Amino acid sequence: MTSSFWIRFLGNPRVLLGLIWLALVVIGALAAPLIAPLDPFAISGKPFVRPMDGFLFGTDSLGRSVWSGLVHGARTTLLIAIIATLAAVAFGGLLGALSGFYGGRTDNLLMRITEFFQTIPSFIFAILLVAVLSPSATSVVVAIATVSWPPIARIVRAEVMSLRSREFIQAAVTLGERDFVILFRQILPNALSPLIVTGSLLVATAILTESALSFLGLGAPNFMSWGFMIGAGRSFLRDAWWLVAIPGIAILLTVLSINLVGEGLNDALNPRLRTP
Amino acid sequence: MRLVRSLVVVAGLGLTALSLAAVPALAQKRGGTLVQITQPEPPTLGSYVSTANPVGQVASKIYDGLLEYDFDLKPLPSLAESWTVAEDGKTVTFKLRSGVKFHDGKPFTSADVQFTFMEVLKKVHPRGINTFAEVTAVETPDPQTAIFRLNRPAPYMMAALSGYESPILPKHVFSQGDIRTHQNANSPVGTGPFKFVEWRRGEFVRLDRNADYWKPGLPYLDRIVVRFIGDTGTRAAALEKGEAHIAGFGAVPYNDVKKLEKLPNIQIVTRGYEMLSPVVELMFNTKKAPFDNVKVRQAISYAIDRKFVIDNIWFGFGKPTNGPISSNFAPTGLYSADVTNYNVPDGVERANKLLDEAGFPRKADGIRFEITHDITPYGEEWRRFGEYTQQALARIGIKANLRYEDVATWLKRIYTDYDYDMSSNHLFNLADPVLGVHRAFHSRFIRPGTVFVNGVRWSTPHTDQLMDQATIEPDAKKRAALYAEVQKIVVDQAPLAWTHEISFATVLDKRYRDVIVSPLGLFSSFDRAWRE
Repeated sequence: MTSSFWIRFLGNPRVLLGLIWLALVVIGALAAPLIAPLDPFAISGKPFVRPMDGFLFGTDSLGRSVWSGLVHGARTTLLIAIIATLAAVAFGGLLGALSGFYGGRTDNLLMRITEFFQTIPSFIFAILLVAVLSPSATSVVVAIATVSWPPIARIVRAEVMSLRSREFIQAAVTLGERDFVILFRQILPNALSPLIVTGSLLVATAILTESALSFLGLGAPNFMSWGFMIGAGRSFLRDAWWLVAIPGIAILLTVLSINLVGEGLNDALNPRLRTP
Repeated sequence: MRLVRSLVVVAGLGLTALSLAAVPALAQKRGGTLVQITQPEPPTLGSYVSTANPVGQVASKIYDGLLEYDFDLKPLPSLAESWTVAEDGKTVTFKLRSGVKFHDGKPFTSADVQFTFMEVLKKVHPRGINTFAEVTAVETPDPQTAIFRLNRPAPYMMAALSGYESPILPKHVFSQGDIRTHQNANSPVGTGPFKFVEWRRGEFVRLDRNADYWKPGLPYLDRIVVRFIGDTGTRAAALEKGEAHIAGFGAVPYNDVKKLEKLPNIQIVTRGYEMLSPVVELMFNTKKAPFDNVKVRQAISYAIDRKFVIDNIWFGFGKPTNGPISSNFAPTGLYSADVTNYNVPDGVERANKLLDEAGFPRKADGIRFEITHDITPYGEEWRRFGEYTQQALARIGIKANLRYEDVATWLKRIYTDYDYDMSSNHLFNLADPVLGVHRAFHSRFIRPGTVFVNGVRWSTPHTDQLMDQATIEPDAKKRAALYAEVQKIVVDQAPLAWTHEISFATVLDKRYRDVIVSPLGLFSSFDRAWRE
């Protein structure tokens, strides 16, 4: 990436705002045991303590610290979202690359499989997967990755197909390079920018899916997460607003930030928007 | 003391009680519609084949039983005017009320009683199969007499004759065709105070006043509409606005009940669940280490802060306990408080000491051992209870990993595969310990595949024998003594840790009076309910 990319990317104030919030969340997640030493499930005070009254963000119905839940929840939410996205990108990318590179029957077969997954409503499918696999961190990751890979596959396929017919690839083929080398050395590095943009936006979707699953009580039962906090607090919305509002705002800001950064990436990487 | 248990309730006594009820006090008025919220919608109205909670809430208005009960669980006359239990306890004679008509106008006779018990309840009622197992025949010497012949005495049977538990069906309607799939299940015909009119699926069941009801002048209400509202918030709002007038069991979550209680038009009633008496228990897999060690089980019993659980998870709707039999049985003498008290201020210290003695010292990381705790998949409060249990165990050095599965998987894990360490549940005591308590720790109830029975797989020949004796013991005092001993032993051995009795809350509109007048609460007929 050239320096002009960084200037365009970081010069965008919306990207900066997004990056600042994301940095805070990542630092919070990494430093969770230091800044919130309490186990987020530990009953550490009286129930329903209001924010700023001995507890920064108050306590929930069992007397668990909301602050502790928030930073430990950031860990779970981010970790699950990132791992699931990486898995989806790896799997979808591979499938899309093979499909676009070989074309013909391979393409036909792989794309029909992809379409099959695309036709199932993704959130319902995720619920189903978690219910069948029984809720745990692994099954949530598997569920999110399973419903997220098809768009990646399609994007990578399209990119690979357009690059496949370029002269430098034809040159490589003429030189007798093996398929594998052409695909991974020549084609994929050139298809990276749309992949990065889609991938980053996928993290936001993954966070929302994870939160929604946890909200429904289908999250990993031994991990605190933002969606879980909202789910557990929703019956008390009228008496204890902070139980829902605080993790809700955290999800909102994080997803918004990722979208801002993702769009910033898109703007910075899109050649048509480049000033000469 | 001679064993004379020949109880004769003079017909006149029943009639006196009746005429008292029938003379309206000044304020009691005819008319009005009561809107009852039942959640979820019942799958059927055949309360003779399904014991599911919503079924009973609707069908109990349509069907009468042979008996009714007062809050001390003592039987009162209903379709049976009087009854006599023979000295040996093996013959029970019911004198039936004359002039009673079914909703279709046909008279009620002893043939209907015979049909109901021998052909229906004994064969297809989920609990009746057990309750009436000893009944070999129902004889009908005349239309107003039904004589139950029993193999062995079954005193508990007398507690299971309400219109909810044992609805009396018209033989002329239900004797044709297969009773399990009978078409009249959903257009029921009974002798009760309300007649079935219409069931609009997903919306409501309408029941209208039975003008020919055998209790003179009753019922007071013109109509009962049972509404089905899927959303929790909407249910609470309907009650708040006075659009609906009564809702019980878990239809309104406890924290909303607390809010509704503060409204001027609403009262909260916790009576009317005395014949159900749910008791919450922690289950230990006693065939598996470390729960085969009684000290471990006792330690965990000590570690649960009952007050915290009741106040913060059940929002005050509960009562701490140590044993399997609910304190609702105190009037009958079957409840005993003379058991180990695990609900003590220094419970955590005692628990730690017991675990040390049991040979599970804390390791360097402070953990003694690690287990999996299966959360009861019944909803919010059970989830919180699971999370609380995890924290309570952490305090005594046991690391519990939580597992959460859907109901079917969980039931299979606990009651079929026994593939668990610890879980929780609540069993209804029902009308008698024989019906609701034995199943939790009698060896006869270690039955893979049958749910809500002895999933902890604990039993001893001695406790089995005590319970078997109590089952057929007609003398109330001797029976109480047998159960006192059972309670002492099982609480000490702690195959389950009984933590608290759940008090269900009924939300009731204050304009309606005399609605909850029996230990069966929402499962009673509402014949005396009236609107101001």
